[in-house]
Amino acid sequence: MADERTESPLPRKWSRAGRGASRLIQAGFLVGLVVIWYLAATRWGVNRLLLPNPVAVYDNLLDILRSGEFVGDLQTTLGELAVAFAISAAGGVTLGYVISRSRYWIAVFEPLFAAIYSIPIILFLPLFVLFFGLGPASKIALGAAISFFPIVINTIAGFGNVDPLFVRVARSMGASDYHLFRHVLLPAASPVILTGLRMGFTVALLSIIGSETLASLAGLGYHIVHLAEAMEMARMYAYIVFVIAIAVALNAVVSRLEARGKRD
Amino acid sequence: MTGAAPKRLPLLRGLARRPWFARAIVIAALFAVWEIAARWFVDPLFLSPPSEVVASLDKVFGTRGVPAALQLTLFELTVAFGLAVAIGLALGLAIGLQPLVRRSFFPIVLLLYGMPQVTILPLFILFFGIGAASKIAFGVTHGVFPVIVTVVAGVQNLKPILLTSARSMGASRWQIFRHVIFPHMVPSFFAGMRLGMSGVLLGVLLAELYVSIAGIGYFTTLFTQNFDPTKLLGLISVLAAMAILLNAVVRRAENRFARRRAE
Amino acid sequence: MATSEVAIRVRGVFHRFGEEGEQRFVRALVDTSLDVGEGELLCLIGPSGCGKSTLLNIMGGLMAPSSGTVEARGQLVHGPLPRDIAFVFQENSLFPWNTVIENIELGMVFQGVAKSERAARAAEALAAVGLKEFAQHYPAQLSGGMRQRAALARALSLKTPILLMDEPFGALDEQTRMILGEDLSVLLAESRKTIVFVTHSLGEAVFLADRVAVFSARPGSIKQVIEIDEPHPRRPEFVTSAKFTSLRNQLYGLLHDEIRKAVQQSSAGDTGRTGMGSA
Repeated sequence: MADERTESPLPRKWSRAGRGASRLIQAGFLVGLVVIWYLAATRWGVNRLLLPNPVAVYDNLLDILRSGEFVGDLQTTLGELAVAFAISAAGGVTLGYVISRSRYWIAVFEPLFAAIYSIPIILFLPLFVLFFGLGPASKIALGAAISFFPIVINTIAGFGNVDPLFVRVARSMGASDYHLFRHVLLPAASPVILTGLRMGFTVALLSIIGSETLASLAGLGYHIVHLAEAMEMARMYAYIVFVIAIAVALNAVVSRLEARGKRD
Repeated sequence: MTGAAPKRLPLLRGLARRPWFARAIVIAALFAVWEIAARWFVDPLFLSPPSEVVASLDKVFGTRGVPAALQLTLFELTVAFGLAVAIGLALGLAIGLQPLVRRSFFPIVLLLYGMPQVTILPLFILFFGIGAASKIAFGVTHGVFPVIVTVVAGVQNLKPILLTSARSMGASRWQIFRHVIFPHMVPSFFAGMRLGMSGVLLGVLLAELYVSIAGIGYFTTLFTQNFDPTKLLGLISVLAAMAILLNAVVRRAENRFARRRAE
Repeated sequence: MATSEVAIRVRGVFHRFGEEGEQRFVRALVDTSLDVGEGELLCLIGPSGCGKSTLLNIMGGLMAPSSGTVEARGQLVHGPLPRDIAFVFQENSLFPWNTVIENIELGMVFQGVAKSERAARAAEALAAVGLKEFAQHYPAQLSGGMRQRAALARALSLKTPILLMDEPFGALDEQTRMILGEDLSVLLAESRKTIVFVTHSLGEAVFLADRVAVFSARPGSIKQVIEIDEPHPRRPEFVTSAKFTSLRNQLYGLLHDEIRKAVQQSSAGDTGRTGMGSA
């Protein structure tokens, strides 16, 4: 019924053309951007120090990949990410579960966590650097601190919003605490928790690259700054493309894992 | 939430039932731990107790250049926010109102929204310099995307029956925009502004911290290199307070607006 | 009927959604023709999916038919005619961010009524539907029945000669429907508008209408038109009379098979195509 009432009087051909047309426009837009970039760098006299030739950027990118000079930085960054995430995930899920056991504690802590998370915690980076130095420790600490919050907030929400009806039914059939946790609470809460873990991972990656950019001696973020200071523009652009690609790939993997986890 | 405490119970027990009271206790306890740890357990080169931080705040403000840097940061935040909201609203409407434009450009917007922008921070500084312009620009690029996305969503989820009804009464396209689409979209817009403020805060402060030869970044670097946790904590606390305040202002505006309409 | 007495003339209307071969292809209406007389209340009744709402939208210019014509008061219909035709929909179509009175006045803004007249007309319409005390309320604060009254007030304030109503009481409970039906009958008796009213309810059709057009199952066409010869306003006692019961039974007889067919269609996923195997 709703279909009939809201069918618009647009001629049918127009809406069908729309689907293909949008792809064309997207492609045209992106191609146009690259073309403008090329012209700006080569013909229109934009300062080569700001906008390198896209061909040079591409060559540098290939060189970076071929020479494998990224490996050290990549290891540093991913290592920091792994440790930071391990800490925040373990801590966040555990604390989230404990807090979720009581409505009262949820009401006490949840607004507190939400309030802290709403400010850019990277502000505290100088403190971490002061305390831990310029090495990986400060990045790990900050990454763990920042990613802790979406994980704990989501875990509280996940466990806290399990329908009490399910709990009642399970108890009425004689479920023990362990049974309840493993067969009712955990499956019911896991979609939300998985989302929180994904968010935590993304945020940890961002804050680690960010803190490497701001104050570090190694890592992907640091390398970009290093190239900027050396004014090696084409190589810097290439490295930026590389890092973005890595970040996008990691996020895609994590999103896929999240979806997989939710499906089961 | 807990209900009202019965009057017979002693006041303290009654208060303890209220979550906000317990929260205040928790926060006080954390500060106490900080105080004790900083005073007796941790090397004063690395950590300062809150009592000292508060006592030395006037010294922080007394340091030459700090008040100016703080003012400049506040200025950058407000300008970036205003720009992000204005640009976000304009782009959001342009994208959301026309189906073809939306299908073409919204995926691009989402792609950019998910990009780790911190990787191009050095580029921004190279392009725009170490002054306010780069901080504002970086703040805008962080804050504009949530505004665009929520405006587009707000325009999208309008119930078709409302458009049909307006059309049947003879509304012109402009009237439909002004009297139907726009009022419908406003709550989403306010939610977008809240997210936009978070983004602007992140962008501006990131850029400020990165530039270590001017602005706030100069002083954070200075205090760090001089192993002066007292002043560092003081400065960061002021910035954090600024962030909390700005967030609260936007949230208050959102609530006041939402209360008017019982949708 | 003579041309001067015909408010809406529907001729040979066919309508389909989508193209043949597409998954969403549906033949909604086939060869539908109908005359709606000036000042009469005509009900369209039929099983789910028979195209009665589609026909109403086509009559009011909200949709263009795949083929066929509609004339309203002598002019060809190819778009909304806000000065001649007003709608009342089943779904809540009041704007939630406006109060009741703001909603009514906004309708007049769209139609183009002069600012000086709007307040008076709005007050008049609200009084007519019995919602005067709720002018400053928001739709979310009103019950379903009151919201539909407000929607009706908005349509009335536009002072159009024709009113098209698409199951306006469909979302309401039986008791509210009964009351609103009686009130509507009284209201319309005074105003002499031409009304086309889509409904599912047999009792509602018999109670309100001068004529009832019965639709077949999809693809929809008008199976038969029944006359209900009873003066307006219809009194509550009419419902319990033998005449009412016999008319209602007549409708039931016409509709029952169509309803069965419609139910079979929806479970088999039939789109109204005849003589074709599944794609």
